[in-house]
Amino acid sequence: MSYTPLPPVPEEYKVLSMMHNIGAVIPERSLTPDELAMWTGIDISTVRDCLQRLKELGYVEHIQVSGVEKYIVTKVGIMKVLTLYS
Amino acid sequence: MPGDDVRVAMLTWEYPPRIVGGIARHCEGLAKALAKQGHEIHLFTLDFPGAPDYEETEGIRIYRTRSEVGHPNFLTWVLLFNHYIEKRMADVTRLVEFDVIHVHDWLTAPCSIDFKHFSRKPLVFTAHSTEHGRSGLHIPDSFTIDGLEWWSTYEANKIIVTSGAMKGEVCGHFHVSDSKVEIIPNGIEPNKYEVPVDKGAVRARYGIQPHERMILCVGRLVPQKGIEYLIHSVPIVARRRPEAKFIIVGDGWYRDHLEWVANTTGHRWRVTFTGFISDWDLVALTKSADVLVVPSVYEPFGIVALEGMAASVPVVASQVGGLTDFVEHDRTGVLVYPRNPESIAWGIDHVLSNPGHAEWLVKNAREVVQKAYSWEAIAKRTGKVYKEAAERKEQL
Repeated sequence: MSYTPLPPVPEEYKVLSMMHNIGAVIPERSLTPDELAMWTGIDISTVRDCLQRLKELGYVEHIQVSGVEKYIVTKVGIMKVLTLYS
Repeated sequence: MPGDDVRVAMLTWEYPPRIVGGIARHCEGLAKALAKQGHEIHLFTLDFPGAPDYEETEGIRIYRTRSEVGHPNFLTWVLLFNHYIEKRMADVTRLVEFDVIHVHDWLTAPCSIDFKHFSRKPLVFTAHSTEHGRSGLHIPDSFTIDGLEWWSTYEANKIIVTSGAMKGEVCGHFHVSDSKVEIIPNGIEPNKYEVPVDKGAVRARYGIQPHERMILCVGRLVPQKGIEYLIHSVPIVARRRPEAKFIIVGDGWYRDHLEWVANTTGHRWRVTFTGFISDWDLVALTKSADVLVVPSVYEPFGIVALEGMAASVPVVASQVGGLTDFVEHDRTGVLVYPRNPESIAWGIDHVLSNPGHAEWLVKNAREVVQKAYSWEAIAKRTGKVYKEAAERKEQL
């Protein structure tokens, strides 16, 4: 039987992994979508789309810091990231 | 080196509650058993939200370290967190003189190698898997990881691997002398499965009716676990066993693809993806299964199969890597061809069609687990390796 070639890692998981590696896993180091776009070099609209999908999946959460919209990786999100590397 | 008790600096990038694959559980089981045998264990690892920076539990001193500076690139991040762990170790060294450094996998190898040189203490390296085996060497990061793994085997005074297959891989790929490498398998806590479970209720929670058969698969959802081949076997199994249902436990970047594969089988309704579940739920689910399938295409050890054996569930496993060290075909489980849905389906049917034989397999499997895979036995063997590493250091 034939199998499809290995699919690439989905874009949102790349963003999730980068958030984790930057350290956005605690509120003090949460990031705005703009900051995340600058850190990762990914355009802001892609970052926003990925964050929306990751939020729906429970891998990131949205928090308000001094009235500013910021994001951190959740515990389940951290475990998801680690599966990329082990 | 003092008498029999040693003071160990153990390093690992994952330790509970930061758990993904087998390394966290391996380190936890080993560290607890070593501490119980009188060794002094200082465990250095990464932080996890909600877990304390320092704690003492069951005789283990755990130091969780936060990387104060991050970077989106994985390898840069790894080198940065190694710096922070090394700094933490330097702080602890002011109060504690270690006898041996024991590092698990390449991720914390850079700081452990530095520590070996400035403390002049022996280094033990446990190679749980290799980049070459996990994903092949296709991209720049993989070559660097492969290089770090080689560097770890070169710097280590002794190397521990968990299976004969891993020993072959490490000696062959990294050109390491056979005498430097010891095989010490993974262990488990058989008592963990000696708990009463209401199997009917557990099965109902996952949508398994009393007349249906539950085929369980547990693992990270990544290509090397071979789960797509199990999913391709679903229609074949269903032809012979219309009452078959499949529960896939775990998560990973490959999940979307696996769900897509399940959609193409025409039997999507038979397959449930649970995502991550709690330890207790996993024990209950494993004990309630009719068969546990381990369809890996690369498996340095395969602790999931051992856990199934301890939980008295018949195991059907790929004939690869470390699985063949303890799954003996038609004696302690059933071995099937890897990447082969027909063979996997045969293995499942072989177990489900012969309940008496399945019971015999389970009985044999439990005996093997209890005899050779307790953490107590494994810690004793690891303690011997620490002593040998110290002696080897004197020779170098």
